[in-house]
Amino acid sequence: MRLACVHVPQLALQAALRRSPEAREQPAALLAVTAATSSKSSRGRGVFRVVEMNADAQRAGVRPGMTGAQAAAAAPGLRLLRATDADGEAGAAALADVGFAFAPRVERDGERIYFAIEDLGRLYPHEAAVAQAIQAHAARLGFGARVAISSTRGTARVAARAHPVAVVPAAPEDARAFLAPLPVTLLTDDEELRAAFRRWGTRTAGAIARLPPRAVALRLGPAGDAVARLARAEDDEPFLPLPPPDALEEAIQLDYPIAELEPLSFVLRGLVDRALERLAGRSLACAELTLRLTLDPRGLDVRTIPIAAPTREAKPLIELARLDLARRPPEAPVVGLHVIALPARVRATQLDILRPTGPAPNRLAVTLARLAALVGPENVGAPAAVDSWREETIAVKPYTAAAATAAADAGQLSLSLRRRRPPEEIEVLMGRDGPTALRGTETTARVLIAAGPYRLSGEWWQDNATGGSWAREYWDVHASDGAVYRLHRDARDGRFYLDGYYD
Amino acid sequence: MVPLARLTEGRGRRPTGIAALDGLLGGGWPRGALTELYGRRSSGRTAIVRAALAAALAGGEAAALIDAGGTLDARALPRTGAPLWIRCAPDQALKAADLVIAAGGFGLVALDLCDAQLRIPDAAWMRLRHAARAQGTTVLVTVPHSRLRSFAAAAIELDGAASFLTGGVPLFSSLDVRAQARRAARDDAPLTDEPRPSCVSLAFTCRS
Repeated sequence: MRLACVHVPQLALQAALRRSPEAREQPAALLAVTAATSSKSSRGRGVFRVVEMNADAQRAGVRPGMTGAQAAAAAPGLRLLRATDADGEAGAAALADVGFAFAPRVERDGERIYFAIEDLGRLYPHEAAVAQAIQAHAARLGFGARVAISSTRGTARVAARAHPVAVVPAAPEDARAFLAPLPVTLLTDDEELRAAFRRWGTRTAGAIARLPPRAVALRLGPAGDAVARLARAEDDEPFLPLPPPDALEEAIQLDYPIAELEPLSFVLRGLVDRALERLAGRSLACAELTLRLTLDPRGLDVRTIPIAAPTREAKPLIELARLDLARRPPEAPVVGLHVIALPARVRATQLDILRPTGPAPNRLAVTLARLAALVGPENVGAPAAVDSWREETIAVKPYTAAAATAAADAGQLSLSLRRRRPPEEIEVLMGRDGPTALRGTETTARVLIAAGPYRLSGEWWQDNATGGSWAREYWDVHASDGAVYRLHRDARDGRFYLDGYYD
Repeated sequence: MVPLARLTEGRGRRPTGIAALDGLLGGGWPRGALTELYGRRSSGRTAIVRAALAAALAGGEAAALIDAGGTLDARALPRTGAPLWIRCAPDQALKAADLVIAAGGFGLVALDLCDAQLRIPDAAWMRLRHAARAQGTTVLVTVPHSRLRSFAAAAIELDGAASFLTGGVPLFSSLDVRAQARRAARDDAPLTDEPRPSCVSLAFTCRS
């Protein structure tokens, strides 16, 4: 089995640089809290010190253990980034996604990932091309990665440390020859073992490989034996890949709280862009977006933003999130933002050659969200009849631009009633045969013809205190203004109400 | 051999769902344009819009009803599908129409301003007309009086007369509507030798 090892040196720094990509071209260093000290200035609290730095910063004289002020003094223009858990988690997940772009299962091991590449032989002409493609994809996700391909996990790890791109030959003797010139320091991080090999005068993997195996195991124990086997390209480190997690997460811990929508949207855009880039690498799209906002000083605001159809476009996702945040602003300023994207496959839709295409799902979703922000979510949707004897009831269901049913409407042209919601209380003059005149806010007319009454009652099983039961006498009246009104008298209080007019 | 009239029939037109009205308009509602329906109360405006929505939905198109005032009756819902229904205040109706048309893919958008008492600037109609043309959407605007003037490609004035069965207890039976074309886009009308009527009568029965 051929394995690829992707090694991202200084993963914590590179993860932090993903949220500030412009800092990659300048000296940058990562600050992290070190253990509490007893000095007077720190008062027992942890102090931020440089833990990782890029090559520019190192050339300028920045060293691990410096405080931020010392590092800034050593390298003018130094970009100091604080290590956060959110960056670390998102960076590690993004590194795993580099592997998931090429393999269904990936083993995660700190700054490295391992995955099988045997299936990629049909897509790429040779293994070096596979390694270069992996490196290019890692660069798209914001990582400067070293990639090695080998037959064993250990040799792949050593080769990735030694070369930016390496392909270790499959044959054991060739692999041994590949490893032979590499220094012992690349085989192990154990200082005692390094010192032992140095004392023996063995400075390269080839020199260790020539040592008698049993003698090495006898003198250096299992750890030394493992290094010797690695030098002979005979390592048996287990490869334990796992499938991808259900959801994909990007997060950021802000340096200062954000209370306004615009800056929050700006931060959100970066997170969504990175999440979509990772999804695109796995040939997936976002089916649902969940925002987890960490509030200042405490509290969480979790909201799920439904998406009409899986998408890889950032614009509708940002717009939907913005509209949701505008409609229900967070109760407090935001200091942390987690974006959780639910991956889904994009399914190709076969359009009907004889039917119109209708609105695009994502544009429709954004439009519905904008309409909901304009008129209220309860006023946008598909109308639906309610199982009730009350004539004025109507419900609103979520709208989907589904294909219409084949049944045509009846050929007979039927009238519609334009309802007033709620029914308007009006004054009605009653004669012997029914209403003779009516007066409302917009209507004052004589009644020419009155048809009725039609008595309706219902919901008598409901509690009267809650306004459940009702009894009405309905009339259709042709008024002198030319309109035909529908009105009713409430049998409980004797008042008249205008339900609407036929139109 | 296919007659030319057959080839050009319905091009740029959308069926109204009412055959007589199709004849009056020369094939149906103009696509990518505003059409104005105006008349007093009980003149059949809502019934015509409902028939247009049902016809669009039956044709597999997406349709929207922007209902200024929320007057839609549940018993008047089209059986062929559900349109997008937006209940709004009159001053929000044009903005809602803009959003729906800009989404694209909606074949018919009905803007119900029958009971709206507001002044709408010409610029708003111009913007709506431009959006409808860009998306190829038919926009039906129902108003109490003619307001769109030249912004509408077609305008129909409606007048209705109620019919009651009066033998014994009166019973409201139907509304007889007279539809008169005040303006009609003729550039893409089908080529036929038949004279187009300028006025048609429609009878809407009371289903309740």
